Amino acid sequence: MNPYPFPYFVRIIFIYYCLSTYRFFACRALLTFFLLTASQAFAVNHYEVVINKSVGESHISAHSLRSVFSMHLKTWPDGTKIRVFVLADDDPLHQIFSKEKLNVFPYQLRSTWDRLVFSGTGQAPIKVNSIEEMLEKVTSTPGAIGYLWRAYLNENVNALTIK
Amino acid sequence: MKMLTRSQLSNFLTGFSGKIVKQFMLLLLFGSVSFCVYAENLGTQKTITNSQSQGTSLKWLPAYALPSFITEVKRPTWINNAADWYQKKSVQGDLQIHGFIGQSYIVTSHNDVFGNSDKGGSFGLTEAGLNMSFRPLPKLLVSAQVLSRRAGKGNSGMPRLDFAFLDYRLYSHEANQFGIRAGRLKNPFGFYNDTRDVPFTRPSILLPQSIYFDRTRNLALSGDSVQMYGDFSHSKWGTFSTQLGFFFPIVNDKDTRASVLEGLSGRLTREPSYIGRGIYETNDKRIRLAVSGVWLNANYVPTITEPLSSGALQFSPIYFSAQYNAERWSLTSEYAIRHFAFSGFNNQKLDDTNFYGESYYVQGEYRFTPKWEGFVRYDALFTDRSDKSGKQWASENPAERNGLEHSRYAKDITVGLRWNVTPEFMLRAEYHHVIGTGWLSGLDNPDKALTNKEWDLFAIQGSYRF
Repeated sequence: MNPYPFPYFVRIIFIYYCLSTYRFFACRALLTFFLLTASQAFAVNHYEVVINKSVGESHISAHSLRSVFSMHLKTWPDGTKIRVFVLADDDPLHQIFSKEKLNVFPYQLRSTWDRLVFSGTGQAPIKVNSIEEMLEKVTSTPGAIGYLWRAYLNENVNALTIK
Repeated sequence: MKMLTRSQLSNFLTGFSGKIVKQFMLLLLFGSVSFCVYAENLGTQKTITNSQSQGTSLKWLPAYALPSFITEVKRPTWINNAADWYQKKSVQGDLQIHGFIGQSYIVTSHNDVFGNSDKGGSFGLTEAGLNMSFRPLPKLLVSAQVLSRRAGKGNSGMPRLDFAFLDYRLYSHEANQFGIRAGRLKNPFGFYNDTRDVPFTRPSILLPQSIYFDRTRNLALSGDSVQMYGDFSHSKWGTFSTQLGFFFPIVNDKDTRASVLEGLSGRLTREPSYIGRGIYETNDKRIRLAVSGVWLNANYVPTITEPLSSGALQFSPIYFSAQYNAERWSLTSEYAIRHFAFSGFNNQKLDDTNFYGESYYVQGEYRFTPKWEGFVRYDALFTDRSDKSGKQWASENPAERNGLEHSRYAKDITVGLRWNVTPEFMLRAEYHHVIGTGWLSGLDNPDKALTNKEWDLFAIQGSYRF
């Protein structure tokens, strides 16, 4: 008995059909994978922690960075004042930055700052209203630290690498 | 228990339907006012962006850049200098000014909280504060806050100096810090005491009263003190922060005297006291654990007519606090065991006063969206943990105390909702069902016999900060 119920050419067409569908799905999976990694790369790499040119640092540990933005670490290693600039709590860059670089939720930063301000044991970071203002303030304030989308980086500020 | 609560709730609802309508109207009113504020903000933002797009952003003009008819108005140069100095410092963030104001509307059944809340509700709770901090040197911080609190008969609203101190950082290496503070300082205990007057930093309108009594608040709030502090931080394990202090408590206020010295007419003097707190936090601030302790001393000076000698009061509570923070929800619990002891009064009854009180609460918060938050809490207070029902206390003096056993405990179930209208403006509402009158203020409820064991409290609050 013929083990194949269909003639040869029908089988060929069927296999081609299967292959093409498979290829389609494989391509789509690959594409999705690439897109995902690409968007991840976009999220991680499209902003930088920036400092004023007067600060002689080129890198900072993630741990010290968290301490700076929690307003506990107040001076650079050379003894000058750290001046911290942030965007509003609900700004997308602020949210990405606090979750990814500091590993804390924005509401936790807010309550940390409120505790410092209203018990008098510390100061709040200085709030800027736009990314342009962030660039302007970090450029002009000695000891300043903030964050910027890559597109806004220029030679007037230094980017800080996080170890 | 469930049935009981439900029937009480329905009683409350039917009994207070009129009031609830009133409260709803008020909430609407608050809502419309807040919307106006919001709309106004939108308007100003628009005008600001407009002016920026025309390239005329607001700037501090030097005097020579102004037309002569303005500069001809003779202003003393020191005013200009001061204004320039202020502008420069505040732009750099070395000088900061913050403040807040909060107004609450409270309605209760039976017992009064912050004014005549039982008879048709009251606007009896107003809180306002203004604070300044200045960093003249990298390691030196100066800060001060003035606070006004109008709350029932205990607090008149008279502004008072809440804190004013110098903070000098002695050592700083990476994330490890060590320093000293001197002046009038907030007493660090529990998670909330340092900032308990700021509506934005509290989880609810009324903090869990078992731990944060509003009755003896000024005694606990701040003191004239010297504190050492240190943050020890590890990149993997997290941060351990400590504060240790020596202080003189603030004892000369009405509410403290009324609740500590029931029936006595003399006065309190302050004695050296000690306080300490240690907080452990993981690096992502998800887990926070704290232990705090106070050893508070005061002396009693009797009036000439009192047959007493000057006695000593000692109040030494220990607090354990724990919190877990996720993106959407937080779980918080605090437990306190509080030791009271009187001695040297030369009066058998007073000198025998030596007991341990117990308090705890469990609280869950949920953030539906960044703008809307809700919470549920169970809070329990026992004035004397060896006599939780108050029966033994009543049996010591049945003639006066029978039927008042409920003044020795309080169990409070609270639900609440918070709306962050803008980052600066917030509205919230909460409902308490309370069994017991352990934390009721004696000044607001002078006749104990008229207080009710089971009662309800509803409150709404609007608060603004900058």
